[in-house]
Amino acid sequence: MIKLLEAAQPGFKPPGSGDFIFQPIFGHSLLATKPVVLLFFSVILISTFFIISARKAAVVPSKLQFAGEAVYGFVRDGIGKDVIGEEFQRFVPFLFTIFTFILTNNLFGVIPLMQFPTMSHIGFPVSITIFVYFVYHYVAIKKHGLGKYLKDMCFMPGIPKPMYILLAPLEFLTYFAIRPLTLAMRLFGNMFAGHLLLMLFTLGGEYLLGSAWFLKIFSAISFSLAVGLSFFEMGIQCLQAYIFTLLVALYIAGALADEH
Amino acid sequence: MATSEESAFWTIFSYLIAGLLLWGGVGLLADHLLKTHFLTLLGMAAGMAASLYLIWLRFVKAK
Amino acid sequence: MTGTLSIVGFGLSTIGPGTATGLIFAAYISGVARQPEARSILQPIAFLGFALAEALAIFGLVLAFVLK
Repeated sequence: MIKLLEAAQPGFKPPGSGDFIFQPIFGHSLLATKPVVLLFFSVILISTFFIISARKAAVVPSKLQFAGEAVYGFVRDGIGKDVIGEEFQRFVPFLFTIFTFILTNNLFGVIPLMQFPTMSHIGFPVSITIFVYFVYHYVAIKKHGLGKYLKDMCFMPGIPKPMYILLAPLEFLTYFAIRPLTLAMRLFGNMFAGHLLLMLFTLGGEYLLGSAWFLKIFSAISFSLAVGLSFFEMGIQCLQAYIFTLLVALYIAGALADEH
Repeated sequence: MATSEESAFWTIFSYLIAGLLLWGGVGLLADHLLKTHFLTLLGMAAGMAASLYLIWLRFVKAK
Repeated sequence: MTGTLSIVGFGLSTIGPGTATGLIFAAYISGVARQPEARSILQPIAFLGFALAEALAIFGLVLAFVLK
């Protein structure tokens, strides 16, 4: 326990994981807390945007239609076609939904007034990962059959027989538990740490503003760091949405391939 | 195409964690049952060795 | 402020493997950029180096939780 640091700075209370727990905005239901409200709002936002942008589809696109088609084209060609190959058309809606959903929810972290990335609650990345998990295992089992899929995965040829005792459970654990888990943990960890960092600099700046006059200079530094890091965070948030979708596409491609 | 590196990168990472957790966990369990103290570290070393061997098989020898 | 010193130790122990991973992939990228056809030779070497460096970081992670 770091009691020493606690004694050294009695006034400032650093932000912690407790700041990620919200009381319901209204009523007592868990469904009315800030992350869940933001989640529903993101769904409404995404569907409205794409319905409006696609409704008046014309040969000469309007600005809105162009924006919608740019996002769709990016996911279809940049992620789907390049990675999955010839069968990519089946998975484009899935990848597109994941990409826009994660991107919007991440970007809530830097938009003023909302300022909370929904994905910094572990439950949301995990539930997306559960969908992905079932999709790519289903695809693989349907393509190869359960027995061959497991055999290809756990027993790779060319090693002495006793080594399988050591290696087969390890491969099973990797492909069925740890690899999907890293998918969720990376998104969660990035969003959680980024939000914590922004909170730390903002709260620190606020605290220093109320202390002695020469500390007010550091308050200005802290606030400007918070603003700078907000833009950095925006980059990270877009990148994480892209990487998540890219890895989902890669796992589906791996499931469709003849061997791992 | 930088995408195959991206996938391999995270697969290697998962292999290392899985090896350490699986055989280290087995060692921890054995320590509890047999009332010894060295099996956890032994299990972790064996798990790490198994992971590295598997990575060598999948990503180095197969290429 | 509460927490354990193990986590601070783990944070310090990730500096080495983090730097190592950065150096390995920097060398790999510049190698591939100079000679794209050398990629199939360089890729296994880069992955093995990455695995060996990352092994130490994961040892640190697990030991931070195991050793009390």
